[in-house]
Amino acid sequence: MTTLVDVQNIEKDFPLAGGGNYLALKGIDLEIRQGEFISLIGHSGCGKSTLLNMIAGLDLPTDGVVLLDGESIKRPGPDRMVVFQNYSLLPWLTVRQNVALAVDEVMPDLGRAERDAIIDEHLEMVGLGQAGAKLPAQLSGGMRQRVSIARALSIKPKLLLLDEPFGALDALTRGNLQEKLMQICNEHELTAVMVTHDVDEAVLLSDRIVMLTNGPGSKIGGILEVDIPRPRQRLTVVHHPSYYSLRSEIIYFLNRQKRVKQWQAKTHKVLARHGLEKVNLDLGILPLAACAPLAVAEAKGFFSKHGLDEVHLVRETSWRGVVDGLLDQTLDAAMMPSGMPTWMTAGGHGGDPLPIVTALTLSRNGNEVTLAKRLADQGVTTVEAYRSWLGSHEREPHRIGIVHPASMHNLLLRYWLAANGIDPDKDVHLQTLPPAQMLADLKDGSIDGYCIGEPWNYRAATTGHGVPIVGDLEIWPGHPGKVLGAREDWALAYPNTHIALTKALLEACRYCADPAHWSEMSELLSDRRYLGIKADLIRFSGQPGETGPFAPHGEPHHLFFGAGLNRPSRTEHLWILTQMARWAEIPFPRNYVEILERVCSVSVFSTAARELGLEDVSYQRQGIELFDGRAFNPDDPIGYLNDVKVHRDFSVAEIPLGLPRPLSV
Amino acid sequence: MVPTPQRRPGKSSSPLGWLLRQRGNWLPPVLGIGGFLVLWQVLFNLGILKLPGPISLFTEERTRSLILDPFFDNGGLDKGLFWQTLASLGRVAQGYLLAAAIGISVGITVGLKQSINRAFDPLFQFLRMVAPLAWVPIALVVFQQNQPAAIFVIFITAVWPILINTAEGVRQIPQDYRNVALVLQMSSRRFFTKVLIPSALPYIFTGLRISIGLAWLAIIAAEIVMPGTVGIGFFIWDAYQQNYVGEIVLGVIWIGAIGLILDRLMLWIQKRMSSGQ
Repeated sequence: MTTLVDVQNIEKDFPLAGGGNYLALKGIDLEIRQGEFISLIGHSGCGKSTLLNMIAGLDLPTDGVVLLDGESIKRPGPDRMVVFQNYSLLPWLTVRQNVALAVDEVMPDLGRAERDAIIDEHLEMVGLGQAGAKLPAQLSGGMRQRVSIARALSIKPKLLLLDEPFGALDALTRGNLQEKLMQICNEHELTAVMVTHDVDEAVLLSDRIVMLTNGPGSKIGGILEVDIPRPRQRLTVVHHPSYYSLRSEIIYFLNRQKRVKQWQAKTHKVLARHGLEKVNLDLGILPLAACAPLAVAEAKGFFSKHGLDEVHLVRETSWRGVVDGLLDQTLDAAMMPSGMPTWMTAGGHGGDPLPIVTALTLSRNGNEVTLAKRLADQGVTTVEAYRSWLGSHEREPHRIGIVHPASMHNLLLRYWLAANGIDPDKDVHLQTLPPAQMLADLKDGSIDGYCIGEPWNYRAATTGHGVPIVGDLEIWPGHPGKVLGAREDWALAYPNTHIALTKALLEACRYCADPAHWSEMSELLSDRRYLGIKADLIRFSGQPGETGPFAPHGEPHHLFFGAGLNRPSRTEHLWILTQMARWAEIPFPRNYVEILERVCSVSVFSTAARELGLEDVSYQRQGIELFDGRAFNPDDPIGYLNDVKVHRDFSVAEIPLGLPRPLSV
Repeated sequence: MVPTPQRRPGKSSSPLGWLLRQRGNWLPPVLGIGGFLVLWQVLFNLGILKLPGPISLFTEERTRSLILDPFFDNGGLDKGLFWQTLASLGRVAQGYLLAAAIGISVGITVGLKQSINRAFDPLFQFLRMVAPLAWVPIALVVFQQNQPAAIFVIFITAVWPILINTAEGVRQIPQDYRNVALVLQMSSRRFFTKVLIPSALPYIFTGLRISIGLAWLAIIAAEIVMPGTVGIGFFIWDAYQQNYVGEIVLGVIWIGAIGLILDRLMLWIQKRMSSGQ
């Protein structure tokens, strides 16, 4: 496909009333191909309408150029017709005269009859053939917008520009007009750019969705390809498997933008007190049972006991939020899946490698694999049954939800599937979804099952939407679940704070490990600040002799504290590195010793444990052996990788980390 | 201050039925005016008010003949009220048309070009505040003759509301309409006829309507101080000089009625013109 519009390195600033300039857009690059439908989405004031106006030529960029067919756009023209949000029909002209105004102006060479035919054709096209003699004031909003679309299309523009075209319409009219517009665009192979606020509208109509970050200096934050085949129908498109992941991707982006804006609006002074470099911390959590140590540390005053007076728990909805929070430093530290520190250190998030340290393992176990009820109804309740069921249902896509590529869920699930003869990439597709999204997807059948931590397995089992088929006690009992993670430069800038934080959480872990506290913890976590679900759905371990859906697989037996449980283990992180390399999430780092040395902050843990008088928990765990009996030799990780049967094409590469240096404060 | 343009669609129906159904609209004003006249007569009869009562307009010989025959013409200044009014209206028409032509064209220029607006707005605002009467001596000095001086006073009084409202109307053309014209690459002539004039029309008519009242006010003021002219203004002044109080009252009523008719006429035209919007 040829490029129709080429936006090259656009910058736009506006003079402010009080002097100075407001930088609206900065460094915008975008190629729009012939026949493509593009949506621009972002928060109010992000400059999406400004960008549209610059393509229209109604506004000129301060810097950079917009090319149409290779020629620079200097002024507006009828080849880039705009459909304005408020219709912009001339109220003193009838519907027909409004369209005629455009046709007469743009096609003066045609005869009257030809022009009349064009006008009639386009009024018919939008279903307003009968309304030609009416004045705009006599029409509803939806009809007016149809006139506006007819006027725009009647002059055969190369490019149709729509500025929130359906924003002011009621939902029903909006839906009808969206379908009409899609139909017209398909039939006439139009190229269109649309500004919208509406996430569903963007997914429904677009080939690509351009997401703009907040101003000042808005940039393109991401471009999503919508792979839903055309022709699309408003009511059926929601069943396409990509629909909800695209939708949640956009919503995640918009929420992230909002949070960054709120964060920027507050002042961020580093408060140093009690000999600690920083006592005001924003800690990221996810609504999972494993966030108990952080919730307990907050509720039971462990943070303030260790001098951290102003700790604020920031509830993220996905692990990606935690990654982004650490990247843009809106979070000081966070609970994270145990694979995340090495994954980010190795650059798994796609940017420059960002060294992350972990001084504490917060929890172990707590995960299950749940399959949907519809599979259990066909007798698929074991991995063997699932394998043969997959064999007989090859044509359908099979998706299994995971929460993050660096999560233990992903690695254990892959290990378990591969060991049971199911290739986790070829036979099924593992899809990253926010935890809270999983149950909904399981219900509507867009995923076969998921691997996740509590309370989502117990919840699916109690509501009858899913059946747990394997627990982590059957895969790797005592595997690391969630860890405390922080940027290395943060930890170096605030060493005493890091130790105090580790101490507070280690004490909280000890509190959480006592079964006498579990009902209290369930009650605490049921609060909306944490999980926001009923307390009896939040369980940390089963009762002896209990029967139920978990009984055959072992209960979600959370371990929060104990000998060798909390100390960061280089062997475990090495196992994680080999698994992530095995599935090509990251290359296997040639300098893995350096990475493990820097990720595992054993000295911080030891200091914290010693100061709490808990030296006995520092004992080193022994080797790693999973359910299939394969031993993991930490002295030869590459040999291990070469030895496993199922793996992707993994590579070995040096990860350049640079020298450890503290954050400049 | 610019009044918001009125946009009310007219209604049509059979006259008698309409009159009956609309009595809530016309009955109160009839009662109000009637009550006022009765009060006036009573106050006169009690001797509290020196002004002759409304009935005396018919009982008194001079005023009765003026009322009954507005069309007599005895030459010179001794003419019926119709001729007096016509002479005044003629002057108003000339001055007002001139004011409309200049006011609208200058108003459009000022409305389109911000720089011109900045240059002249203080001047316009300043001149606008000068009362019609103050222009009379200047007009007499400049024109040396009563007739052109009177027309000038009408013009200078009536031009400001037209000019300022037109300029505002042009400035208020929604950016959307301008964008439509820009995207379609409309020629300036077509922009003028298809977008600018229709869009600014309600504002222009608001200015025209304010100005017709002002023009009528100004002609009376101008004629009063311009002796020897035929016109309703000088008619009153003449009656005052000769102490015909009844004639003064009659003249005043006549002026008010004509002013009201002019205003309603403009309102009617305005409604007709903007019924499409």
